[in-house]
Amino acid sequence: MKILSLEGKKALVIGASNVIGRAIAVALGEAGADVAVATTTRSKHEETIVNSCSNELWALDRKTFALSIDAADEGAVDDLAQRTIDELGGLSVLVNAQDLPYAQAAGDVDIEDYRRVIDVNLVGPFVACRAASAHMLNTGGSIINVASVLGERGMAHGAGYCSAQAGVLNLTRALALEWAREGIRVNAIGAGWTEGMGILADEASTQQLERYLPYKRLAQPQEIAGIAVYLASDASAYLTGQVVWIDGGALSHV
Amino acid sequence: MSVLAQLDLSGKVAVVTGAGRGLGRAISLALADAGADLVVTARTETQIQETAALVTEKGRNARPIICDVTDSNSVNGMIADTKETFGRLDILINNAGGATPGMQNTLVDIEDKHWQVGVDTNLTGAMYCTRAAIPIMKEQRAGKIINVTSGFGLRVARDNFIYTSAKAGLINFTRALALTYAPEIQANLIAPGLFPHDNPAMIEWWRGGKFVPMGRLGRDEEIGQLAVVLASGLTSYMNGQIVVLDGGGLAGGHAPTGFAPVIPLAEEHR
Repeated sequence: MKILSLEGKKALVIGASNVIGRAIAVALGEAGADVAVATTTRSKHEETIVNSCSNELWALDRKTFALSIDAADEGAVDDLAQRTIDELGGLSVLVNAQDLPYAQAAGDVDIEDYRRVIDVNLVGPFVACRAASAHMLNTGGSIINVASVLGERGMAHGAGYCSAQAGVLNLTRALALEWAREGIRVNAIGAGWTEGMGILADEASTQQLERYLPYKRLAQPQEIAGIAVYLASDASAYLTGQVVWIDGGALSHV
Repeated sequence: MSVLAQLDLSGKVAVVTGAGRGLGRAISLALADAGADLVVTARTETQIQETAALVTEKGRNARPIICDVTDSNSVNGMIADTKETFGRLDILINNAGGATPGMQNTLVDIEDKHWQVGVDTNLTGAMYCTRAAIPIMKEQRAGKIINVTSGFGLRVARDNFIYTSAKAGLINFTRALALTYAPEIQANLIAPGLFPHDNPAMIEWWRGGKFVPMGRLGRDEEIGQLAVVLASGLTSYMNGQIVVLDGGGLAGGHAPTGFAPVIPLAEEHR
């Protein structure tokens, strides 16, 4: 379908090392975009995933590269944006999927861990938006921030993660307004509970959660990724400052 | 399946209410472009015949049916006709609605009739259509319902009681559908911002969109493309949600305009 074709778009996905970011990167590639992918943190495990993601994009005949970075490191993110422009020939789509899960009873929180969660999950997306905007202010572009239902609802032991995710939602709105007349659109995907996200302790807690979900199952990463193609495409040219929730209806419940 | 292939609506049958013009026509044409066959309904025969002709030009089947969504007999007949003609119903777009008499009246000047007509047009009609369509979708174990609300369903303006209440009601009606019929049937909402439908008077009234953050008004075909996304397999886990397509209006806004772009702040806070 040509309405969502991303032919000619140059995308950067930060946090392609988690299941949602990876699925988005592949979906953008399937829709025709060239896609650079990067990790959230520097680890062998994440590096392996973004490398395999990049290989999959390469197999689709897309321009691509993978990079292992700390997504909260401003200098590294600036360099990544520049390298994307150099290697892919532009930067028209930025996906902030960096994600550092964290759950801890308030009394047990080590404040350095807490600051790190805010740094990666909230400051990281801002740093990336700003790095991309330096280029997009001339060319236009679409920024997609991946947030979580935990940015809209609270959860015990989630103070750090929930507040960072809520921050991403309003970061999205504020930057959307700031750049509305400069051709940069900023939207968010509000992801529901998704298979493979790794925040759930074990299979038993997953099953317990599923009983409460309207679909009686978690989302597949691909089910979150589809809307990213729409948000990246010119079909959503009038959409900015919004959160599109993909949660199977969970947020509708009292 | 590749991500773009999921947008293909070939073999699907869609009912679009309020399909004679504006958003309803644009949605009908976008669904036809994606491969769906269409039932196009509204009260005005000439208009739905025009829409049907445009759908047919795209090589899809179109059946124009006159229907008043505020009359449940008329709605039941329209849905039965759909089932009889096409044998199925995959996508229901409850788009009918809009301005009704007394909509801008002060509260004490709202007559009972004003309220009833406004709520019937903007809320009850969607319930009638959905109530008639649900048994077919349940039997198919699949269906997509898309209700068209408004920015006025989420926020309000002074002396705008009827329309805002009805459109807000439509939002929670949709959420209840979403929870009740998940996962086979999905129900979501589109909330358009300012869409003048090429009407010069509306373009003038909204100053061409100069108060919208993006600086322009919406184009009907942009709603059409969004409707295709929400009607397709691309959004299989999306349920009970609203996509606000408004050029950034609801993302910010400062009373009383709601759509003011930038208000200068004091020097020390810049």
